[in-house]
Order: sequence, then structure tokens, then C-alpha cells
Amino acid sequence: MRPDADNAVRLRFDRGTLLLQGVPRNRARALPAPELWEWDGRVRAWRADAMHYAAIRQIPDERWAGAWRDEVPGPPPVHWPKVDLPPLRPEQEEALTAWRAAGRGGQVIMPTGTGKTEVALAAMAETGAATLVVAPIRDLMYQWHRRILSRLGYDAGIVGDNLYNLQPVTVTTYDSAYIHMDRIGDRFGLIVFDEEHHLPGPCRREAALMCTAPGRLGLSATPERSDGRHADLDHLVGPVVYAMPLARARGRTLADYDVVRVPVALTQTEQAAYDACSRQVRHYMAAQRRERPGYSWRDLCSESGADPAARRAQKAYYLKKSIEDRAAEKLRVLEDLFRLHVGQRIIVFAGSNVMAMEVSRRFLVPTILSHTRKRERSAVLDGFSEGRLPVIVANRVLDEGVDVPAAKVAVVIGGQASTRQAKQRLGRILRRTGNMRATLYEVVCEATREVERSRARRRSDAYERTRHRRV
Amino acid sequence: MLTSEHVIVEYKDGRARPDRLERKRHAHYAACAEQMLAIYRTGIGRQRRALHRDVETLFAKEPDCPLRRTRAFAKLLDDASTYQTDPKGEASRLRLRVFEAAAPLHPLVRRKDRLFEHAEAETKAAIAADVGLEWDEIDARLYADVMAFQQLECFQGYPNAVALLSRYNVAQLQACLYAAERVTVRATQDFKTILRYAKLARLLHEIRRVGPSEYVIEFSGPASVLRGTRRYGVAFARFLPALLACKGWRMTAVVRTPWRARAVLELSDQDRYTSALPPPEEFDSGVEERFARKFGQQREGWRLERESEVLADGQTIFVPDFVFRHDDGTTVLFEIVGFWTPEYLANKRETLRRFPDQGILVAVPERSLREGAEPGAGVIVYKTAIKVEPVLAALEAVRGSRSP
Repeated sequence: MRPDADNAVRLRFDRGTLLLQGVPRNRARALPAPELWEWDGRVRAWRADAMHYAAIRQIPDERWAGAWRDEVPGPPPVHWPKVDLPPLRPEQEEALTAWRAAGRGGQVIMPTGTGKTEVALAAMAETGAATLVVAPIRDLMYQWHRRILSRLGYDAGIVGDNLYNLQPVTVTTYDSAYIHMDRIGDRFGLIVFDEEHHLPGPCRREAALMCTAPGRLGLSATPERSDGRHADLDHLVGPVVYAMPLARARGRTLADYDVVRVPVALTQTEQAAYDACSRQVRHYMAAQRRERPGYSWRDLCSESGADPAARRAQKAYYLKKSIEDRAAEKLRVLEDLFRLHVGQRIIVFAGSNVMAMEVSRRFLVPTILSHTRKRERSAVLDGFSEGRLPVIVANRVLDEGVDVPAAKVAVVIGGQASTRQAKQRLGRILRRTGNMRATLYEVVCEATREVERSRARRRSDAYERTRHRRV
Repeated sequence: MLTSEHVIVEYKDGRARPDRLERKRHAHYAACAEQMLAIYRTGIGRQRRALHRDVETLFAKEPDCPLRRTRAFAKLLDDASTYQTDPKGEASRLRLRVFEAAAPLHPLVRRKDRLFEHAEAETKAAIAADVGLEWDEIDARLYADVMAFQQLECFQGYPNAVALLSRYNVAQLQACLYAAERVTVRATQDFKTILRYAKLARLLHEIRRVGPSEYVIEFSGPASVLRGTRRYGVAFARFLPALLACKGWRMTAVVRTPWRARAVLELSDQDRYTSALPPPEEFDSGVEERFARKFGQQREGWRLERESEVLADGQTIFVPDFVFRHDDGTTVLFEIVGFWTPEYLANKRETLRRFPDQGILVAVPERSLREGAEPGAGVIVYKTAIKVEPVLAALEAVRGSRSP
């Protein structure tokens, strides 16, 4: 049973890592690619990240000092029952060729609505290996499932949303991939990271590190992260092999669009409450700063536990935000917009679940929220795309990648000012259908922080060269 | 268990201090805990949101109570509750029905005019009539499946206020460990329990003997040799209640702070946390217990210790039942093989074969011996109970063979 006694050198997949047994610690120099390995005294073997499997396999046999056995299970080949891919557009073809030329590893950056999914499906079709597709949220996971079924004729397994059905081709979410990868990381020949900017987080990156798949494809419209970690994608997925600027997409594949800002005033009672809250927060901060220059909001949050006054200021701040979020006037403006665009499909983005449900109960229009189950979700999305349901209300769930067919009008009535969110939201309404211009309305409370957020949003690349008007 | 949104940890001077309610400083929390239990006990049929609001209100004027603490209490109370879940998707069906009925009438305007003739109130009344319920009732049921609106069905609860507060303290400790990269335990007893539960939590260990019956055990997971990872944080948290039930240990955990620095969480059996698990059994079997009682703590220069040394071969560990220490320094390990299944015996044989150089004294029940088998040296055969004399004789034989 003593591992060193048995001279056979064995490479195994062990809970998300590669384990090399049979090479004693003092023979580190006999290891090929010694920089990849760490000695693990607990099991008396060498360990490496599963991600390096492809690199290790490429090492010629003679560099191994003697015979060795690879016991990492090879992923099964996959035969697609019925491939029905539309012909790729030139830029999609370029992307696929570049990825192939890079040895089937790397990132493809294309704006929302330009058919990243088709590129990935074509890559899957030609690779013909067991594939794991990782998507940020379960809506997208189900969407991938539907796409794989309709384009490749394959009924993929699902891991996530309380389901665990592992198949040679499986779709999952980043959170589930992180949790399960130490068990399933040796099953795939290709791994696809959709909206790959979700990958470099300190935990989620393990979905890439713990997987042996030699083929890797990262997809995103906006790989940049505010923390700068997108640089790690080169290591986790591979280099950027193709990047298409948004400008090239606009007008060709994407519709032109207008951004319209609709200011609303708070009601008298709301304004009074809002001002009182603002004053409370301002006074508290000012008082603290007199004593302690550089006192920040973070200090306040960390003190709110021990200090009821800080806690009251914190509560006032949250109340202020909720007044903004749920201003009664927004519902009235919404009615006006619904009147204006009667007969057109409209997506409303709310800043919170509560506001989304308020809109839903006022106008009797369906919501898509994070807890909406699969069946209701498809019923609502189908009803919307067939024109039976004129409006859907969403919170952040529809922010990314979820296909919402041919909506031409979107209304944002709350949300944070982040560049990516803005781009993704635009992506929703910009899918090409006919020549009609798309319109994005931003309903913001006047004289509040929301106005600033709206300005910050508009500074982003996505809003450049769009027309702005006021209603 | 709590989630990371409930964690309260103070990081100061490289130390992590999880939130803890103390008997003296937080004496009035006992009353609060009673009231919280009462809110849930009398809250059958109420919405989750309302229960949470009541719990929050209870602490509104409390000078020292962060929101996270209140929410953590609500979570722990929810953990001991059952809510109505709408498994048949009635709310979802009602929604689709109502929204589809309203779709052709969109938009529902506040006041109708020549262009838009479907007023909100009238339309809702008409739909209500069609469904056969009052509108207010429909409005209440429309999103009844959303977590916040679910109704409390039953409350299993906690035995008393103290139990809830203890649970809270341990839960914060566990939540702090979610961010742990590795855990080191220095232990002087209960090795078997500690190592068994660590294995159940799928942790790997590295054991170092630092003195007679004193060991330093480092716990982490496979990928921990490659990088600092919080992947095994939940495993540490799961392992913790077992450790808290043991005696004679000190623990150090390296945790990642929210600012990506590292801090140390220190803990020992002297910190008096209450585990949900009972303390480990003192003896594995009646045979062991009877032998230990018969032998006494000390006899003819031999001191008897229970499970006080650990043998380790990689990830396989073996804790012999007893250790005899003679005044002259001779130490003999003693393992009692009980009356068990063939698998148990095969397992024992394999374990003993793994540690051939330890000179372990083994007691074997007569009926587990194969017909005609000749027990070798260091094997004591017993019928129903182990006698002291043959054991002493065997111990002296070992002592004789080891002395120069």
C-alpha cells in the first residue's frame, strides 16, 4: 500500500486536481513541466490544477523518465443527432476560424445581439466532444438547453436550479459549476463560458481551474470588470482570439436606438420624507467628519452595529433609496408610456422585486423574477414573443443574454449605474427586426441620486452616438 | 446555517472575532429570544415578511444590534420552521390566467377616455367576477408563492431562549469559517472523534505528534496545496460542531477577510460554546469499559490511558483503544478487537498490518479466531471479558524485550 513502493507512475483526477503518484518527492527533477506541480505530503504525491491537463498531455513521452499511466478518463465523443445550424455571418465565421486556429482555446468578444451563441454552437458541432456550457443565471442555462436541442438535436443535461442531471453535454450556472466542478471536472472535452466576465471571481474561477477540458471557449460582449480581474481570463480561458467592436455591430446587425430620459417628481409626501432622510444622512456624516476627517460611508456601515445613531442614518439612506425606487409618479409615467406605445411590446426593468410586483399588480402584466419557475417563465416569454402579452416586467434577471424576441421599447425605472448593465440592457431591445428604431426610456426621479446614475450610464460606450431627447 | 449575508466578524490586529452574545453583557437578549420564539410560535398563518418585520422591530431600540444580527436570528428561526410552498403552482396559474385576461385590455388606465377605455378598477372587478373571487383576494394570492409572502405552517423551534442564543453563537462561528482556508487543531484527547468527523466532512489532514498524547492536526482540502481557497470553508463549518463537543483542544483557522487579507480565528474548548452534538462516548464497547474499570488507572507501574496516541499512514489513521505507559518510559499500545462482523475483522487486520513496527498488543475474542489458528506473540485471546493478568504478563514481556 505504500505509494512509493509501487513504481508505476499514475496520473489521476482527484477532486478537482491532478494527482501524480509514483514519483517520490526527492525526484522532482524527473517531473515533466516541474513548474506545474506541488508536492502534497498528505497523500505523498504531486498535485497540479486540473486545468493543466492539456499541457501535461502534450509533453512528449520521452520527457517522462519511464512509463506512466494516464488514468484521467477521456471524455466520451458526442454524436449530434441532428445538426441544423444557420449559415454563419462573416464576422461569426471569422470568430470561429480564429478560435480554431488558436488550438480551440480562447475568448470571442462580440456585442450583444450579434450571435455569440451561434458561434459557440458551431464550435461544439465541429469539436464533437463532451461539452459543459456555463451560463451566469438559470434563465440563460435553460436558454442554452433549448438552443442545443433545436440546433444540434441533443437533449443536454442540466446541473443547477436544484437539478442534477449530468450528461456528456450538460448546461450549468457559474455557481453550480463552482460547487460541482471537483466532481465533474474530468468529464468534458470542451467547456464554454458564456458571459465569461463572471468567471474571474475568487471562487467562480475554480470552475476553470478544476476542469480538465482541453477545449475552452469564452464568450462576452463586455469582458471588462471593475476590479481588473478580466486579465485573468487569458490564463483561465485563453487569449482573446476575436474581438468585434460595438460600432461595427450597430446599424448592421443591431437596430439604431434612442435614449429618452423621463424625469419624474416625487409627490409632496415622498419629497418631504426623502428630504428628511437626506438631511439625516447628511447631518450625521457632517457631524462625524468634523470629529474624524475622512469618515466614509463604509465607516458608517461598520459602526451601525454598535451605534443606534449610525444605524438610523443607514436606515434613512435605505429608505431614501426605496422612495426613489418606488416613487408613485413612476407608475403614472409608465401609464403614459404604455398609452404612447400601445400595440408594441415593452420590457420594463424595475430596480427591485417589490417594484416589479407593484407594476405587475397595477397593470396586470407578468413579471420575470429570479424565483419565477421554468414553466411560467417559458409561458410568459412565449406569450410575449407571440404578441399575446404586451408587457413584461423584470428585475435584474433579464440583464444579460436572455433572448427576448424583438422588443422595441424598454423602460428602465430603477437600477444601478454600471456600464455593463447598461450595455446588456440595451442589448435586450436592440435585436434586429425590420427597420424600426428602438427606444430606451429611463424614468428617473428629479433632484435625486437617480439622475446622477442615469448620467453615469449614458457616459458609457454603449450610449455614445445615440440621440437624447427629453419628453 | 447562516449565509454570508448574515456574517458578523470583527477583524482587528489580524484576528477574526465572530459575533458572540455573552451571558452577562447581553443578558437582556434572553428576554428578546423568548419574544422571538413567541412571535414564531403564535405566528402560524402569518407571512414570512411580517414575522421578519416583527423580529426587526424587537431590536429597533437596542443600542448594540446590527441589522445582520436581527436577520441572522430570523434565518435561524426560519431554519426551524416550515412555510407553505404552493407546490402545485396555484399562484403561478392564477397569475397567467389574470394576465392573459388583462392582455387584450392593455393598458389599464386610471381614468378612461376616448382612446383608452379600460379603466383599472373596472377591469379588475370584471376579471375578479370571471375568476369567482373578490379582487382583494386575488391581489393577495397573486404573488403568494414569493418567499417573502409565504405563510408559516409550523414552527419546530428551539427548546428555549438559551438554546436559540447558543445556536446563534455557533452559527456565527460557522459562518466565519466559510471564509477559512485552513484549520489547525492542537488536541490532547478525543482524536478519534475529531478525525472521524473531519473525514466525514471530506477534509484532508496532516498529523504531527508534538508530545506524549499531544498532536497538531492540520485540516484542508485537495486544492489547498495549490492555492489559498475558500472551497473547503463549508466543510470546516460542518466539522465544527463535532470539535466543539470534544475536550482538550485549541483551534486556529486562517480566514480571508472581505478585503482579501488574512486573519486568524482562535478557539478552544475553554471558550464554552455549546455544541448541538453530544460529547463523544467514553468507550466504544462494554468489553473496553469493563477492562478499563478492572485495571484501574494505575497498576504495577503501568498507567492506563484511553485512546491517547494516534498512528497515521498518509490519510489512514489508527487510534488504538488504550496506551500503557510504564514508569520507566516504556509505552505499549493496546487494541481490543470486539465481537463484530467479518468485514470489521478484515478491516482491523488490514489496519494492524499497516502499522507493523508499533508492537501493538491485541486482544482477540476466541470465537473470531479461525479453527486451529495459533495466536502469535502479542495476541491475547479472551472469551467474554479481558482478564488483567495475561495483559500484565504481556506488558512485562514487551518491557523485558525492549530493555537492553
